[in-house]
Amino acid sequence: MSGEIKISIFEVVGSRLCVASDDGQKVYDRLDVALKANRIVTLSFHNVTALTSAFLNAAIGQLYGTFSEEQIRAQLKVKDMEQDDLALLKRVVDNAKLYFKDPERYEQAVEEAEENEDDETQSNTSEPTQLRFHG
Amino acid sequence: MKFSLPPIRHDYSSFEALAYLYTQTEGYVLDAVEIDMNKTDWFDADMCAAFGAILYSLGKRLNEVSLIDIPQRVERILSKNSFLSHYGRARIPDRWGTTITYKRFDVEDDHYFANYIEGELIHRSEIPEMSIGLLKRFRESIFEIFSNAILHSGTELGIFSCGQFFPNRNRLDFTVADLGIGIHQNVKDYTGFNISPEEAIGWATEEFNTTKSGNLPGVPGGLGLKLLCEFIDLNRGCIQIVSDAGYWQRKNRKTLTKSLPYPFPGTVVSVEINTADTRVYRLVPEELSPEDIF
Repeated sequence: MSGEIKISIFEVVGSRLCVASDDGQKVYDRLDVALKANRIVTLSFHNVTALTSAFLNAAIGQLYGTFSEEQIRAQLKVKDMEQDDLALLKRVVDNAKLYFKDPERYEQAVEEAEENEDDETQSNTSEPTQLRFHG
Repeated sequence: MKFSLPPIRHDYSSFEALAYLYTQTEGYVLDAVEIDMNKTDWFDADMCAAFGAILYSLGKRLNEVSLIDIPQRVERILSKNSFLSHYGRARIPDRWGTTITYKRFDVEDDHYFANYIEGELIHRSEIPEMSIGLLKRFRESIFEIFSNAILHSGTELGIFSCGQFFPNRNRLDFTVADLGIGIHQNVKDYTGFNISPEEAIGWATEEFNTTKSGNLPGVPGGLGLKLLCEFIDLNRGCIQIVSDAGYWQRKNRKTLTKSLPYPFPGTVVSVEINTADTRVYRLVPEELSPEDIF
């Protein structure tokens, strides 16, 4: 049998609220088996109303520690996601790629943080780099 | 032994007062501890999370805790949000529905916590109308705070939460406290940095910085607090984080750090949300397709 596998997040978690790392791990465990079996997986977020980075890091982010970007891109698809949820997932995926692929980048971030802390005054201002608002 | 508590507001000096209370009482075991609230003529209700955490740690050491001489209006609000139910008083009805119940959770209670937030914030007619985008981001931000406590605190004594609406001021305050290892110790253990407690909090709020290595060691992290701070910036709200002897505040896109003279026995994350905010929140400005993600 080599057809596409559909996984419903709602069915795996049993709730519309997908917020806990442990629940993300349940999704990851299924994805891990399917991708190792070279199956194509469609992950449906139908009926999911709340997501956190903690959940998505566990469910999807950690895939990048086991599988290549190419394999994940070829075998994993998502559907039934709203724009802001897609954006959160994109952020989680980009973060995971850096986390697993570029440990030097992580070391650099750590060092920069240390230097910034040395320079930091009591009060500073910084703009968020990723989040934007419309309306 | 009797200890006096000053007015408790949503600010540095009140965190200092609570940390001082902890420091004064941390050596007590199997004792009777009276908290004299005669001078506590104001109590920002969400701060029950931090206060409750300290009292719980006293109870854990089998001290008999009693709260005495509570001014009437403070007693009323702390009875409405169920805080005083833990200390021998009856809960009274919240006629205007402005309280968010005080509760303690264990780390495995994430589903229970999620349902509590849904029940307190979503399925209540008294809650001021917030835009769909704001409500979603706020709710998810609260979940991020709770997830952070589960992942990083290592607490065995639980996670405490409480909130309060201020309809006339279009403000919602919500606080989560834990009695875990604290951000400072986590960062020191993970990075080896010799930095102050407030610097450690700042480090943890930066993207890519994570100390997560406990129950899910292969899972990337380092986004939760960053996302929360971005949301607070755009909402023009305020976030205060207290951990160990560090105080960190972000408000009006400015960060303020201070040290506390006494350590708090864990971490407190406290947010103030502007409920009249009508913006639509997006994590990135452009439209994304599911094909663009991986």
